[in-house]
Amino acid sequence: MRLRRMLAVWAAKLTEKISVHIFHRQGVTWAGKIALQICPSILKELAGQVKKDIYIVCGTNGKTTTNNMLCAALQKEGYRVVCNHTGSNMLNGVVAAFVLSAGIGGNLKADYACIEVDEASTRRVFPHFKPDYMVLTNLFRDQLDRYGEIDITMNILKEVMQSAPKMKVIVNGDDALSAYLAMESGNEFITYGISEKVIDDKDSREIREGRFCKQCGEPLMYHFYHYSQLGDYECTGCDFKRPKIQYDASEIEVGDHLSFTVEGRRIRANYRGFYNVYNILAAYAAARTGGLELTGFNEMLAAFNPENGRMEQFQIQDTKIMLNLAKNPAGFNQNISAVMQDEKEKDIIIVINDNAQDGIDVSWLWDVDFDRFKDANIHSVTVSGIRCYDMGLRLKYVEIPSKVETDVETAIRECVKNGCGNLYLLVNYTALFSTRNVLKKMEAEK
Amino acid sequence: MGRTDRKITIGHLYPDLLNLYGDRGNIACMEQRCRWRGIDAETIEFNTGDVIDFSKLDIVLLGGGSDREQAIVCKNLLEIREDFQQYVEDGGVVIAVCGGYQLLGKYYKTEEGMIEGLNLVDIYTEQGNGRLIDNIILKSDLAKMPVVGFENHGGRTFLNGNQPFGKVLYGHGNDGKSGYEGVVYKNVIGTYLHGPLLPKNPQICDYLIQKALERKYGPVTLEELDDSQEQAANESICRRYLKE
Repeated sequence: MRLRRMLAVWAAKLTEKISVHIFHRQGVTWAGKIALQICPSILKELAGQVKKDIYIVCGTNGKTTTNNMLCAALQKEGYRVVCNHTGSNMLNGVVAAFVLSAGIGGNLKADYACIEVDEASTRRVFPHFKPDYMVLTNLFRDQLDRYGEIDITMNILKEVMQSAPKMKVIVNGDDALSAYLAMESGNEFITYGISEKVIDDKDSREIREGRFCKQCGEPLMYHFYHYSQLGDYECTGCDFKRPKIQYDASEIEVGDHLSFTVEGRRIRANYRGFYNVYNILAAYAAARTGGLELTGFNEMLAAFNPENGRMEQFQIQDTKIMLNLAKNPAGFNQNISAVMQDEKEKDIIIVINDNAQDGIDVSWLWDVDFDRFKDANIHSVTVSGIRCYDMGLRLKYVEIPSKVETDVETAIRECVKNGCGNLYLLVNYTALFSTRNVLKKMEAEK
Repeated sequence: MGRTDRKITIGHLYPDLLNLYGDRGNIACMEQRCRWRGIDAETIEFNTGDVIDFSKLDIVLLGGGSDREQAIVCKNLLEIREDFQQYVEDGGVVIAVCGGYQLLGKYYKTEEGMIEGLNLVDIYTEQGNGRLIDNIILKSDLAKMPVVGFENHGGRTFLNGNQPFGKVLYGHGNDGKSGYEGVVYKNVIGTYLHGPLLPKNPQICDYLIQKALERKYGPVTLEELDDSQEQAANESICRRYLKE
């Protein structure tokens, strides 16, 4: 069926050109949808042409960063890699990644594929191909209206793991939920984690998932927490405990940059945010498990600039701007920690939408520890987006005053004009694309 | 009595298991709206297995959890049932949300079996076909403003003639058919509305605070607060979902 495949590839490429260049739409899902309609077996066929291995990356937070880093690491070693860079991670987005990488002859020249897959969409992706490796970053509460409770997500992941028994799972051993899933699946698994205590987070009021053992229902006991429910745990009722960590990060330094040691190598990156240690470690463990030497890993990290609104920097006139995605309590709390590592005075704009892709239920805002902003040397807070009033109200109840500005561009211009020159934009999923477009446009103005 | 002599103690039941959907927002709202009026407020968290002295509590919050966690809680509830019932019959204030609302009733029948409830209010819940998920707006006798929130429940709750919390103006409500949402029994409110419920519905929050104060100190008039932000948030939902 090569002809049909070629036709599908052409149609997808044309669709992508129209959707991105004429309609300025982010995302490539239309291209994937059309390709699949023309040639229903296209994903299976193209995935079959990947010469070495297919990685998929799942988990609530860190998928896009981990996946893009893994892709960059493989490319650094000289390989050709298929990757859904933009984070379009449902079936159509996955199809688009393969189709748009194929040549006009309908064939794919790739050594590896690195594909992030939305947890609930794994069910629709796995029938097309069986990955060689799954990276499982973590499981936090996210979009309860869309995914339902975490238990439902876990059941889906277990089902797909068992449908691919040869697939190896590279799992964050510090997350009891992810680790349990890997153990329970029967698939071979490899662990990464952090065995030393970095920040004492035991007294935090942060919401923690899975306080009870998934195996026996008794409470889990923690020797320490890193953040949220990530830490060193042990069941009080049965033999379930944190597995032995194979890729173990130690001597961790967090501040303006990150560094840590794994396998005796010192890893350095110019990012902020403790959670990025996990992202880097996940990508590292995945590539090492796949047999790569990773001699150029630090060099890759130094050049790594995802330009996708994950700690992305902009400069508009005299104002330094940091844009970062924050879409659920665990992610937002980590964002707040990262903001607080910058001791300088700062303006903050928070943009919250409630479109379908964001989750239409915004009650999670109340599970974020915004009261910590009180100690964050804040010059001003502006709330924007469809749910700006909810966000403003959330801050009112921790006695942080905020200004409502429904239009994001006006909010940014106001901060550039009257702010303190150091601006953080924390935005949720659909707000990311529109906010990023505004920043790109403003940056280009002279 | 001086302004500062009054105190409200909130009992948050089983936050270790029932903590979905921003329940902490309901606590923060009740605490702050007391404090802003010079009323002292304290919240005591009771985890599973803890002994609860209901005589020390003025408001009880029973939050939402996943079905699995609800089944774990249910074991604990039966131990406190009698004390809890006495508290309710004595006019104790209860706000029960989502899973907590279901647990107020006789039972919650799911495909996997029967979760026995507290039987504090004569209502019951059965698992329905699909989940009812949407923004929701009610007209309740307990507030002048419409009551807005978000609902996400697989159970359908039946009131057996009890008084509902409100009439559904937008959304699904108790069972998707009756046109009513929640239940009010004595000083107990049970509802599927989270969002969380209280911040965008300050009049409901004040209703709970008022009832709790009256039970403890006799008739009171609550001081007005500046609710312009609360109103703006409430109105923005009504504007979006209510035509006309």
